[in-house]
Amino acid sequence: MKKKGWLASFAVTAVFVGSLVGATAGAHAADRTVVVWSPYKEGNLDLWNAALKRVEAANPGLKISSVGSIDMAKSLAAINAGNGPDISVSNGAGNLGWFCGSGAWQKLNAFIAGKNGINLKTTFTPAANSSTITNGVRCALPLNSEVFAFYYNKDLLAAAGFKNPPKTTDELLAFSKKLTTFDKDGNIKTAGFVPWAGYYGFDMDSMWLGQMFGTRWYNSDGNAAFGTDSNWTKALTWQKTFIAQVFGGGDFAKGSKLLTKFVAARGDEWGTQHDFMTGRVAMKWDANWMAPMFCTGDDWAMADKCTAKVNFGITGFPVAPALVASQYGSGVVGEVQMGISKGSKNTKDAWIVLKALATDTKLAQAWDSANGAPSTLLSKDARPAKYPDWYQPIYDVASHAKSSYHLMKNTGEHQEEALLQNLMASWQAGDTKDVKPALVSLSTQVDQIIKRNI
Amino acid sequence: MSIASVMSILPSRKRGKDLVAPPRKKLKTPKIFIFLCLSPWLIGILMFTLYPMVTSFYQSFTKFNLIDAPKWVGLANFHRMFFEDPDFWKALRNTIWISAISIPLRIAFAIFSAWMLTKPKRGKNVYRTIFFLPSMVPAVAATMVFTYIFNPAYGPINRFLEMLGIKEPPFWFLDPKWSKWGLILLGLWGIGDTMIIFLAGLLDVPRTLYEAASLEGASAWQSFRYVTFPMITPVIFFSGVTGVIGSFQYFTEAYVASGQVNDYSHSMYFYATHIYFSAFRAYEMGYASALAWVLLVITLVCTLIILRTQKRWVHYPNGSLFK
Repeated sequence: MKKKGWLASFAVTAVFVGSLVGATAGAHAADRTVVVWSPYKEGNLDLWNAALKRVEAANPGLKISSVGSIDMAKSLAAINAGNGPDISVSNGAGNLGWFCGSGAWQKLNAFIAGKNGINLKTTFTPAANSSTITNGVRCALPLNSEVFAFYYNKDLLAAAGFKNPPKTTDELLAFSKKLTTFDKDGNIKTAGFVPWAGYYGFDMDSMWLGQMFGTRWYNSDGNAAFGTDSNWTKALTWQKTFIAQVFGGGDFAKGSKLLTKFVAARGDEWGTQHDFMTGRVAMKWDANWMAPMFCTGDDWAMADKCTAKVNFGITGFPVAPALVASQYGSGVVGEVQMGISKGSKNTKDAWIVLKALATDTKLAQAWDSANGAPSTLLSKDARPAKYPDWYQPIYDVASHAKSSYHLMKNTGEHQEEALLQNLMASWQAGDTKDVKPALVSLSTQVDQIIKRNI
Repeated sequence: MSIASVMSILPSRKRGKDLVAPPRKKLKTPKIFIFLCLSPWLIGILMFTLYPMVTSFYQSFTKFNLIDAPKWVGLANFHRMFFEDPDFWKALRNTIWISAISIPLRIAFAIFSAWMLTKPKRGKNVYRTIFFLPSMVPAVAATMVFTYIFNPAYGPINRFLEMLGIKEPPFWFLDPKWSKWGLILLGLWGIGDTMIIFLAGLLDVPRTLYEAASLEGASAWQSFRYVTFPMITPVIFFSGVTGVIGSFQYFTEAYVASGQVNDYSHSMYFYATHIYFSAFRAYEMGYASALAWVLLVITLVCTLIILRTQKRWVHYPNGSLFK
């Protein structure tokens, strides 16, 4: 009897535990929730959530939980703590090295090559493909572009006798010489072009300068190329010559001092006091999101016809004379990226969502209409049905084969950009006398950072 | 005045049993109740002070990038700091420079301002409020205003200097040679908090001492040198110690000012900035923790040195608190 009692109770317990395990397993199999974190808020979050609803509708049983207003630091901390989302969106092109290099995002190569894969070459623009890869590893898909192009004031150029924008760096210097004026005290009144680290460009002036000379950031061995790629020396030497000839009458120190003062007096970036809008500068590098403001003055919405005082055009960066045939028309193009977090329990569904978002032409179209951010997709359906003609050059630069962002490595929050910008600033101020050893030293510093982060 | 000295001046016949306090009754409050009352503070200090300190001490011996678990690297962070990181030395040099220049200047300026404020016969409260107000302006806002007024192109300071005949006034925050001086001036502008302590110290100097000095024929300088100065040395000592601790943590003003300009030469890069950049730009939490612990040691050593010297120059009318 005692034995029977034991057996009975064992059987009851086994049935109970079995049913519990079964229920848990069943619940797990049915749990197809994908958590998506993004930095978006308000109207952009609405567009984003609408796209997520479309993914849910196309994949019965799949649930997506969307959380907005999450920046990179929060995402990284949560992924580290094991509480991260399945998918997170990085809010800047330069963060890929960190998200990928640190292992916060998983490698996607197997998913891309798999059954439900994606042909990157026929789906995305060249810039989108090149800027979502680091150390030969792809751990992100592109979402939308940020395009840095060349803006020029048509009226000021015409008044100086120039019908077209400069195509080469030599022409840029010659145009600027003619367009730069001085007041009675000898200070710069208006500038043709200002190749200056810290003139509205934040950490990007040096990247833009490098793009004009076809510079390389890293060698094929993975080491920094600042000290070995002679185009960096050419770019910075050109900058120094430009400052001396255009602003200093041949005297670099004089030009540098005058330009420091000129840059210190620049107008606010956000609004009609921007130097490009007041005519204080005739040509400049800038981002696509500045175009609507230049067009209408203070309205960020895209307008069919520009109503602001400045009559401007957009084109690719002027390039070194030897690069005109291959590179003219390009610019710096980066992407907003997204990836699947380390520790995601549901990578299969996360990939379905990731792929669907990256290839959603409706999302790309709506996003572009709202933000003027060109799609990374080659499909014409991804473009807004109607966009103003004056904005077309932004699309041309975005899809140019030579447009790119620099290769991104794990240097924390893109420290190599900040270090390069410091070197450019020190050089333009005359504190760095010899640029070659300074570039070699920069390479060493960047290599050390990468080595530490492995 | 100490209790002993009070006792000594009481008539001896009044000393006796009647002046001796009756023995205290044993506290009957249960210990658990005491701990319960203390628990919010205890939990707070354990969770928000002790735990982070212990964690950061451990992390200072690790490589920790926020993503992967901390990896033990022994003394590698400290070796890198002293032998491989030029930014560490740059930040330390800048911090020592700003401490060495700004602490004496702040104290001198605060004494002078406080002394000025002892002079007005009418409206002294208005003057005191006006002098104190800048210290209430948030550091970020104050720095933004200073980068505007020191702007070499349109700032009023350089316009004024040009009016005085200075043809090429400094570029202030835009010039590595002048940027730290801009920060010093910003610090002097917000001297109100230190000044108010000195004002209390000055007002605390007994008038009888000045009257005695005057009767002895002391000049104004001699009155200051031999009466005022010794009497306010405890306040100078206090300002010196808090100044050293504060200046080694100098961050906000430098961070905001260098963000307004292109501080390519790191002329406004201080020790706390180095910790911040290591932690939140490079995401090297282990290295940032090591930097923070070295900062603690440096600050402790500096503070101890000042404490050790106080016997030679700090005058406590009622005896030192630090015996």
